Amino acid sequence: MKKGKAFWLIIFFLFVIIQFVPAGKPDTIPENENDLIYNNHIPESIVNILKTSCYDCHSNETSFPWYSHVAPVSWLVNRDVIKGREELNFSEWESQSKMDKAKNIDKIINEVKGGKMPMRIYILMHSEAKLNEDARQQFVDWADNYAESLFE
Amino acid sequence: MKKYSILIIVLSMGFMFVNFNIEEKNIPQEEVKTDSAIYYVPADVIQIIDKSCYGCHNSESKNVKGKGKLKFDKMSELKLYKQVGKLTDIADVVKNGDMPNNKFKKNYPDRMPTKEEQEKLISWATELAEQLTPPE
Repeated sequence: MKKGKAFWLIIFFLFVIIQFVPAGKPDTIPENENDLIYNNHIPESIVNILKTSCYDCHSNETSFPWYSHVAPVSWLVNRDVIKGREELNFSEWESQSKMDKAKNIDKIINEVKGGKMPMRIYILMHSEAKLNEDARQQFVDWADNYAESLFE
Repeated sequence: MKKYSILIIVLSMGFMFVNFNIEEKNIPQEEVKTDSAIYYVPADVIQIIDKSCYGCHNSESKNVKGKGKLKFDKMSELKLYKQVGKLTDIADVVKNGDMPNNKFKKNYPDRMPTKEEQEKLISWATELAEQLTPPE
């Protein structure tokens, strides 16, 4: 067998083998009683932003497209979702103290204002998640008002 | 809906009324007034902040990053929830030794807070944050 062919055969077999490595895919839980949206009156435009640009990593309601089941992409996706939920999980929002909510809103505002969130790689794969200046400002304003109302 | 309007929060007995606008070593008498609360910062905490924090964390600072993150002299202008956020941040970064940072440590080793001072700062920030947070 030619060297080139052997190389690609090996790559192919590796590819097949890694599909059987346990990927540790996080669960998707569609209904969460402590969810932010479920427990608060939030304007529809903001709900859309949350669900489209945030909830895949920052809630239990993650939707996994076909390519996210294929290794090694699945490893990266799973890692991002696990880390995202660890850092901030909107599905568990109401279980926090007011102080923690304030802290998290502050962080959210900084990350969204600074363009760090949503992550670039996510926007690459989900163009509908992209947030323009207006949307960002709208979101940040809402978050600010919401936090203020908690502290009244 | 309760409008959160704590007028006076006295942290404990024997406090001096102090001002967050530290310009000279001479600390004038004034409380910290925000939109929805007035609180007092004990003199010894002010001194720790002055020694180990204020140099970077004031609005006139040349340290852009530090100024961007926190300005002690402008704290009272922030919304209440943001002040609480900043206070908990202060407690966190002092607790895990992230602040003062390594640059400060290198340039001003004699102005690093002692263990006791760190603990004073942490408990002040934590307690104040809790007091400024309305009940659940």
